[in-house]
Amino acid sequence: MKNKGLNSSGKGLIGIISFLLGLVIALGVGWGVFPTLLYSTKIQPMNFLHSAHQDSTCEDCHFTRENGTYSGIPMLAKCAECHEDAQGDTEDERILVEEYVQQQREIPWKTYAWQPDNVYFSHAAHTGDQGIECVRCHRDVTGEAKLPPYYENRLTGYSKSTMKMVECEKCHADQGTSNACNVCHK
Amino acid sequence: MSVGRRAFLQFVGGAVGGTLLSPLPWKLADDSAIWSQNWSWRPSPERGEFTEKPSVCQLCPSACGILVRLVNGKQAVRIRGNSNHPFSKGGICPLGASGLQFVYAPYRIREPLKQTGTRGDPNGFKPISWDEALKEMGTRLAALRQENKAPSVAVITGQSRGSMSDLWRQFMTAYGSPNLFTMPDESDSQKLAARLAFGTAAPFTFAFERADYVLSFGLNLLDGWGPFVRMQNVFSNWRTESAGAVQTELVQIEGRASVTASKANQWVAVNPGTEALFALGLAYVLIESNLYDAGFMSDQVFGFDNWTDAAGNSHEGFKQFVLKHYSPDQVSKETGATAEEIIAIGRKFGAQKSALAVWGQGRGTHASNLYHDLAFMALNLLKGNLKNNGLVSLETPPPFAPLPEAAAVSSTAEGLAGTRLDLASSAKPPLPGNALHSFCDALGGSPAYPLELLLVHEANPAYTMAEPSLFRKAAAKTRMVVSFASTMDETAAMADLILPNHSPLERLDDIIGLPATPCAFYAIAAPVLAPQLDTRSSGDVLLTLARAAGEATAKALPWNNYETFLKDRVKGLAASQRGAVAGPTAVNLTTMQAGQNLQPNYKSDSDLWKKLLAGACWYDAPGDHLATLPTASGLIELACRSLPLAPGQAADDKLFLPHYQPLPPSGAADQFPLQLVTYQTVTVAAGLHPNPPFMNKLIPDDLLLGNEMFVEIHPRTAQQLQLADKARVVVQTPQGEAAARVRITHAARPGYVFMAQGFGHKNQDEYVRGKGVNANELVEVQLDPLTGLGTVWITRAQLRKA
Repeated sequence: MKNKGLNSSGKGLIGIISFLLGLVIALGVGWGVFPTLLYSTKIQPMNFLHSAHQDSTCEDCHFTRENGTYSGIPMLAKCAECHEDAQGDTEDERILVEEYVQQQREIPWKTYAWQPDNVYFSHAAHTGDQGIECVRCHRDVTGEAKLPPYYENRLTGYSKSTMKMVECEKCHADQGTSNACNVCHK
Repeated sequence: MSVGRRAFLQFVGGAVGGTLLSPLPWKLADDSAIWSQNWSWRPSPERGEFTEKPSVCQLCPSACGILVRLVNGKQAVRIRGNSNHPFSKGGICPLGASGLQFVYAPYRIREPLKQTGTRGDPNGFKPISWDEALKEMGTRLAALRQENKAPSVAVITGQSRGSMSDLWRQFMTAYGSPNLFTMPDESDSQKLAARLAFGTAAPFTFAFERADYVLSFGLNLLDGWGPFVRMQNVFSNWRTESAGAVQTELVQIEGRASVTASKANQWVAVNPGTEALFALGLAYVLIESNLYDAGFMSDQVFGFDNWTDAAGNSHEGFKQFVLKHYSPDQVSKETGATAEEIIAIGRKFGAQKSALAVWGQGRGTHASNLYHDLAFMALNLLKGNLKNNGLVSLETPPPFAPLPEAAAVSSTAEGLAGTRLDLASSAKPPLPGNALHSFCDALGGSPAYPLELLLVHEANPAYTMAEPSLFRKAAAKTRMVVSFASTMDETAAMADLILPNHSPLERLDDIIGLPATPCAFYAIAAPVLAPQLDTRSSGDVLLTLARAAGEATAKALPWNNYETFLKDRVKGLAASQRGAVAGPTAVNLTTMQAGQNLQPNYKSDSDLWKKLLAGACWYDAPGDHLATLPTASGLIELACRSLPLAPGQAADDKLFLPHYQPLPPSGAADQFPLQLVTYQTVTVAAGLHPNPPFMNKLIPDDLLLGNEMFVEIHPRTAQQLQLADKARVVVQTPQGEAAARVRITHAARPGYVFMAQGFGHKNQDEYVRGKGVNANELVEVQLDPLTGLGTVWITRAQLRKA
């Protein structure tokens, strides 16, 4: 049946509008809605301020062990060295001492940079031999007044700020280091 | 309407285009892949701090140093070799590397179990508390002792190189039963051979590091025999060229092209089982060509020349005997080697400065015929290898303090005081050894007295013993079988009560001596994990039972727990002020001198204990075994005149001398025209521990395809039987039959069928059971008439198309 209401240029216009509408909505969903939906915002068990620990060096808590492994986020025992008793009267201090130190319960920190199990990454090889600064991959924590929110990918369970493989590859390429699979995946 | 549809399609087109231009599909694809890595059933270590704990591997007697990586100190995720270990130097075997799969195996026994149905019923096992189980056992042991039935309790332990074996011996002596056996291995016959020749019952050790020419008679040096990592290192050194160093030559005398044979400088394919005859042929060449150490033979060895006994009767010596019976022509016929080969190898062996002869079957899991051990020893004697600090020596035990005296047995079964079940019959062998096969044979037949209780510790005789049906028949005649297994193996499955041991990485244990290694050795295997299940250390369980079994056992085993006992041992070791703790620097076996005094580098017994717990090991130079030879002549007795002859046995000179003594296999040659020989390969675990899933990946398709295993035959044998490669066959021996497929290969000797060990498990889990057949079920065990030890010689076999 022939449509008598619109001529061919009118049909074309509607077509373009429909196409653009679809395009714009999809772009909006893809770039705007989807990333918001994909991540849930989680908060850390308590607020930790690197800036409040300036009497310690970074290596006091984050160090490379003798065997080359990296300590990462310190375990509760490290916190308890100073925080056996409350060091102040903030709510975060109370949470630390009463809910974790006194109960000898490890703090379930959400790690912003946790890599999947199939990634073998050695801090020693990067920071020691190559001298790469921490902030090349991690956020600068020195001036932080509050821990940033933790965006957890609902599908994978990893943090939004977990470094993707492309970043590793780019740097490896720049440094002339091999990008062979078995360099990072055993 | 048609515009609406078109507009809709255009909208969809735009949406698809927009979606493709957004991160949505690409991010979803990427995240889905990562999501699939984190499915809940996919094993993944928990997050937390990684630490590494040192220990010593207990999966075989090599006692390699290991480092176990732990997450949060409680979940083990990896085992690697400890490069600070002075003997294994970071090396580890596939089984050791897979060790965690035994800790977390689904077939582990979770708690004490009691069989409530008929024996062997997998659904009949019901959990029972430790208190109940130990009470039942204690009451039973005490009652049997009260009823003068102590010898009706027997023990089989697979832990022959550890204090557990001494603890069992102490218990059984105090309890009053002579029926204690370790699982058979090559040291059983070697100890008896050394006892006859040297007056000391100790296995032989070999200084491979110092040899320049090694003759290996059937020993799979590179297929997992004895000190596994040491052999890999030794072989690597043999093959490393260095200026001025003589490269060691390896000659493998074996009927199958094993890995060792393939890597040897020369492979001499003799008929399996005739290796000792070949050795005597070489002895002939050495003597005839005057290439032996004449000074040593006359000064230090008794019986090389003709000799006279106390009664004044003259006897033929080894020299004359060998020259009469073992000329290359005589030897050639039965061994299948040519006379020229025998002469050439004999002359080379005689001419080399540091030539060594080593022997055994495969990985050394069977005892040998005593005369054959003596024949190989004689070949080494001719080269002067048993001189002080020579290439061959006797194992030196660590100088522990003696255990408390076990009270003499006051009451035992009527008329059977101290008589082992297999020795209670009239056909008692003159020189009885650790004859588990004879014991099972006697028990399964018409035993002199019934067996009430059979305790099986760290052993799986229902699977690993050659001809395991002997064990099963024996167990069927026993009122109660108790297993200490940590996994549901074939023996545990047929037990009435299971008192599960911790798995090796969960328990504190020790290792005494390294097989075939010329130095004294002691190590503590520290637990790296807390017990994961409701299991208990068998040492602790035994000490509890000793307290319940009666005053004598309680007094003889006074320790509160196994740790106290081990600490006591280390205390004794420290008090001896001998030996040293080996640190990260490797122990140099090349330069170590027999009788050398090492400076103790530990301050006290607690310091020694601490160091041993941290993964170090104690070692000492080997003793000077020639210093005071406790033999009648004060010399090494090549003519074993201390050998007790059976009553009425004529004193034939041959009986005192090393000679070739084939034992006739059963079955008719026309019905079973072939001979079955079993072998072990480094890719398949064939001992107490079954092949873990990691190692399954190492098995090639021409050894196991699906659940079917292959047997090797020579192309000529295949042609005679009209069998094509991969054909399905039935292998039949007088012991039974099994289905297999054939692999046609020149690696096999014509007329023989070679079958790998380690397959055909019936229990455990889906990754272990039902794969191939257990070769042990098909072989025939022949009891050495001299020692009663079960020897695996040759088994007649036939192959027919399935």
